[in-house]
Amino acid sequence: MFRTRSNLEAKNTEQLMHRLMCLCPAGILLFVTSVCAVQVARGEQELTFENHIRPIFKAYCLDCHGGEEELEGGLDLRLRRLLVRGGASGPAIEPGNSEDSFLLHRIREGEMPPREIKVPEKDIATIASWIAAGAPTAREEPQNIGKGIGITPEDRAFWSFQPLVRPVVPDRSVELRARTTIDTLLLAAMRENNLSFSPDADRLTLLRRASLDIRGLPPTLDEFAKFSTDDAPNAYERMLDRLLASHHYGERWGRHWLDVAGYADSEGVTTADTVRNFAYKYRDYVIRSFNADKPFDQFIVEQLAGDELVELPYKDLTPGEIEKLVATGFLRMAGDGTGSGAPDQDAARNQVIGDTIKIVSSAFLGLTVGCAQCHDHRHDPILQTDYYRMRAIFEPAYNWKSWRAPSARRISLYTEADRAKSAEIEAEAGKVAAEKGKKRTEYIAAVLDKELEKFDESLRESYRVAYYTPADKRTEEQKQIFIKNPFLKLNAGNFRQYINQKQGDDLNSYDQRIAEIRSHKPYEDYLRVLTEVPGEVPATYLFHRGDLKQPKSAIAPGGLTITAADGQRFAISEKDPSIPTTGRRLAYARWLTSGKHPLVSRVLVNRVWMHHLGRGLVNTPSDFGSMGVEPTNPILLDWLASEFIEQRWGLKRMHKLIMTSTVYRQASRRDSEKNAIDPDNRFLWRKPIQRLEAEIIRDRILATSGKLNPKMFGPPVTVSEDEVGQTVVASGAEGLRRSVYVQTRRTLPVSMLRQFDMPVMDVNCDKRASSTVSTQSLMLMNSDFILEHAESFARRLQPETGGDPRRQVVLAWQLAFTRSPTEKEMERSLAFLDRQVEYLKTSEPARKEDEKEDEKETKKEDQEVKRLDPELQALTNLCQALMASSEFLYID
Amino acid sequence: MTSGNPIQNTRREFLSRGTFGAGSVALACLLQQDKLLAIPKNVTLEPKTYDLTPKVPAVQPRAQAMISLFMHGGPSQMDLMDPKPELTKRDGESYDGKVVFSFFNRATSRLLGSPWKFEQHGESGTPVSELLPHMAGIVDDICVIRSMHTDTNDHGTSIGKLLHGGTRPQRPALGAWLSYGLGSENQNLPAFVALPDPERHPNKGIQNWGNGWLPSIFQGTVVRPKEPRILNLDPPPHLKGTLQRQNLDFLQELNRDYVERHPGESDLEARIASYELAARMQTDAKDALDISQETRATHEMYGLDDPVSQEYGTRCLIARRLIERGVRVVQLFLPFQPWDHHGGLRKNLPEVCRKTDKPSAGLVRDLKARGLLDSTLVHWGGEFGRLPVCEGNPTNGGRDHNGEGFSLWLAGGGVRPGTTYGETCDFGHRAVVDKVSHHDFQATLLHLFGLRHDQLTFLHNGQEQKLTDNQSCRVVREIFS
Repeated sequence: MFRTRSNLEAKNTEQLMHRLMCLCPAGILLFVTSVCAVQVARGEQELTFENHIRPIFKAYCLDCHGGEEELEGGLDLRLRRLLVRGGASGPAIEPGNSEDSFLLHRIREGEMPPREIKVPEKDIATIASWIAAGAPTAREEPQNIGKGIGITPEDRAFWSFQPLVRPVVPDRSVELRARTTIDTLLLAAMRENNLSFSPDADRLTLLRRASLDIRGLPPTLDEFAKFSTDDAPNAYERMLDRLLASHHYGERWGRHWLDVAGYADSEGVTTADTVRNFAYKYRDYVIRSFNADKPFDQFIVEQLAGDELVELPYKDLTPGEIEKLVATGFLRMAGDGTGSGAPDQDAARNQVIGDTIKIVSSAFLGLTVGCAQCHDHRHDPILQTDYYRMRAIFEPAYNWKSWRAPSARRISLYTEADRAKSAEIEAEAGKVAAEKGKKRTEYIAAVLDKELEKFDESLRESYRVAYYTPADKRTEEQKQIFIKNPFLKLNAGNFRQYINQKQGDDLNSYDQRIAEIRSHKPYEDYLRVLTEVPGEVPATYLFHRGDLKQPKSAIAPGGLTITAADGQRFAISEKDPSIPTTGRRLAYARWLTSGKHPLVSRVLVNRVWMHHLGRGLVNTPSDFGSMGVEPTNPILLDWLASEFIEQRWGLKRMHKLIMTSTVYRQASRRDSEKNAIDPDNRFLWRKPIQRLEAEIIRDRILATSGKLNPKMFGPPVTVSEDEVGQTVVASGAEGLRRSVYVQTRRTLPVSMLRQFDMPVMDVNCDKRASSTVSTQSLMLMNSDFILEHAESFARRLQPETGGDPRRQVVLAWQLAFTRSPTEKEMERSLAFLDRQVEYLKTSEPARKEDEKEDEKETKKEDQEVKRLDPELQALTNLCQALMASSEFLYID
Repeated sequence: MTSGNPIQNTRREFLSRGTFGAGSVALACLLQQDKLLAIPKNVTLEPKTYDLTPKVPAVQPRAQAMISLFMHGGPSQMDLMDPKPELTKRDGESYDGKVVFSFFNRATSRLLGSPWKFEQHGESGTPVSELLPHMAGIVDDICVIRSMHTDTNDHGTSIGKLLHGGTRPQRPALGAWLSYGLGSENQNLPAFVALPDPERHPNKGIQNWGNGWLPSIFQGTVVRPKEPRILNLDPPPHLKGTLQRQNLDFLQELNRDYVERHPGESDLEARIASYELAARMQTDAKDALDISQETRATHEMYGLDDPVSQEYGTRCLIARRLIERGVRVVQLFLPFQPWDHHGGLRKNLPEVCRKTDKPSAGLVRDLKARGLLDSTLVHWGGEFGRLPVCEGNPTNGGRDHNGEGFSLWLAGGGVRPGTTYGETCDFGHRAVVDKVSHHDFQATLLHLFGLRHDQLTFLHNGQEQKLTDNQSCRVVREIFS
């Protein structure tokens, strides 16, 4: 029988579809230029074992017939000659004679694979044709193959594992609309399909688009005014420079990275969901790094191995050292239940390691390596040993045999002087505590005396002796005394019910003194970091089927086999002799950022592209493997990836490059002709419309109402559950800060943000969803949040417009949409205001009555309903409509 | 607005009633509804618009609505509705068959006979465990399928297979497919309502009612377990009535202008529709969720008189009130996965039975009494079952996951009552007779709604996607009445 393979069957289907898509002409649209030609050619070429048959076997058969040492029926399907040799039931195939081939018979009859998922008709036909054609191979088969599924030349030929080579770019001058190489490459692909760019968007659209994209905030009135009238030819470029220089840039783009890192202010895993008090320093580190345009290679090295760049011991740290240590907070973002009562400690520890590997691999490699934890990856060429090589990189820091719970991993920022001062103060407090203890003993003795007076004198002494005899030394008789006289359970915890107020106050005064003394202690601040204990170098074992109870051979650290040329797998020495820690993470980080890794820069530029243009060139940003989607424009992807490295990993230069390109500056409106050719806009002939992310909707509302508190950095704004069970942000000025500073508690996602698809961090988030549901509408119609900010927005309009409705409408439009209203919009708005004011004035008495009725129903009796004068109420309602409208929620 | 029998509210009625404002986009869409039934292939010249108006299915439907009582964690079939005398007889002996375990560290091959007694009930004589006394009372109205299998023993994967037809997280949930295929009979309520537990979301959270790559209007709307059941449903008192109506009219004018500037953006159309639905929900949802209108006898029928079952019973009752008003799919969820009894089976299994048994049975009784059972499909079941061997020790241990064979029951909606279908092996480990895969289950379910699993498709990334994921599957006609 087959073993259970949790994710396999479903993935098979996807892979199958993917394959079909590559073969069938309808799928051609997916690929462009040269790739297109390759795909067509494949459909016509001769069937070979390596190219056509093995992938089918890999998906449906190799689990039992070659993937593991144990072969079902003695049949190994990994090579053509092994098929001919066959297994216990004889040869599996007879080349040239498909009808008499046993394997085909078994598959056709539905006997194999024995599970529900069967080999699809189309694949069976492929196998039959291949056998009939004599079962050809692409080349001579190797004499020996190792264990397991292994890596074949076909695997090595997969697009994302090819070394990054800067593509030759066609001459730009022939393309009228090409402003950058990006445009040239896109246009080259478009031309073959009779497509071309849409016209440039108008300049205010560009201002709004760029501002929301780069800062996550709308342009200010001042920026609006200046840019509208700036006729200089480089006005757009200068506007981009200003935006990129804004400190809001880091808040916006740092948030994108925090998604990838799986940032959270709590440990998750258990129901306690313990708060991480110091995680925010990593968030601040990310924002600062983006704002400083820190080269991304440096950013990667610091996050993976910042601790190995700082000299031990981690004491009296400089700001530079603190920064590097805080960076390793990246590796501490995975949920960690080991300090909050996870029932199975070993499993919980290994879960932290597994999730961390998942974050690292999706962030930098764009691969799902997790499948290889139990066996060779069934679809991508990732060996099980590769998974444990990667694990060996992190195991010295995450040593599950000598684990440190989260609280034990902190680094205190106390200096030696702080420590001495603190000890001195503790000693002083200790003295007072001792005095208090003495006093308490006296009080207890007094209480005992008093209570004993209630008994016959003859009993008192024996009771007293029993009381002062330690529990474990009491005689049977004494135990009986305790059972009969509960008052003898008198102790430091319960004696207070026997003493008077004055005595109680007396004891409390000691506590006050202790607190006062301790208040002079220097504040002890901590860093949340990942570090190694020097000298502690645990061996990493391959776990048979991923079961930590079945360790097999020891595995040395290194990179994935597929990410280097055949036979040149990147190996890491067990211990770097030049530093006290193993240096494994540092070596790995340097390999990732060497410029030679095939995936890292492709994965990174793809994400940048995704945020600017709504969809990555690879639409599965964390799956660059065979289950992912192939790039819509592979040449452009490679060019961007090599340009990124050439530009010394500078992110802001990439932003500017993309944003100055025509592709970014196009209008978003659909053109029916182009839409007919490419409805999904794969060729990017128009700028897609993007729904703003949850945080940006909230931030935009705050900015528009004028209430945004621009305070940066520091401990997160707290969240709590309100009386109706919604998670809400703290009130007051703190609660008006940008969403990136709001606490990310895994179990308490802010309701308003969650409704607009803020991810709940299970592990991390590679791509956000975007939903449109009526609960969002209700939120924008009736929530306290929107009502409050609509009123602030309206009040903001009043002083600047002298109460003139026409001027109010103009200003409202400019603040909300960065444009002035059209004449139609103006008339409609004025009519709306008139209608509302008139209604409010004429129906006032009736309304008040209604409200009273409602208040009775809706429990708000003690809460005075706030009434605004009719003009302000009407304006508030107009402002609310603007903030709830599509134009406000989307970037066009 | 809801005069007469709500379930008879027709599309025409809805048209004539009007909602708020003039020229509503949904109304315009409504008129094209027949065109929308068959999603055109590869045609995107005309931008697609989607709505929730009722669609006429391909085949005469047996079921009109569905209430799914999803039992996350994997209820133990051999302790509930699939008695295994052989297993009981050989309790404590070693199982010599192959078993796939999820939890190696506690796995044993020791057979664990059910500690609970089974008896036959009703005219059908369907055997039910003593843990489910109320289910015992409705056996003549239900069909127990004992041969379910997903061939996977991982929660997430199996939930994916059963509810989404596959394991990719972006796949739409069953309820989203039904809303897409059939729309809703009531335009003032969502087509698909999710009723999660007050304590905690189920395993896989909101994915359970996600729309995946289907348009977002088919996403399940969460009706909260506590008041206010739908957040932000009510406007503040000083905006109620005329003012809010004017506000919305003005807002929708802005939104329609924006669509005019960006034609063909289905998300922007959906945004408009979502405001309209929100406004209509204000009046109708309140009424639907008000269980104080129900009699005391009804409350009791659903176990509202027992603190243990009161919460779940309330949600079952709300489910009935929702489908009665034309909601297409209501799905109830439990906190995370309370049927996942790896340990403490003897103590914990009875507890979750007590919470859910009476409400589930009460729901079927009530639907039947109201004549709604014929057109309402009730589903009770989890993502898989449990193993016949013991995990940990036999006294306080439990059972590990089992995707090879498990049970669920269906009632109403054209399902043959008083029957059992399929068999597992002597130990209850593997489905062996009349096996029903998750895709068979989905195809069957769609068929009851008059939809053909191979025809209900959605074009996504150039591929015709189906709930059954293009896998071979069969409609289990044997269970139809």
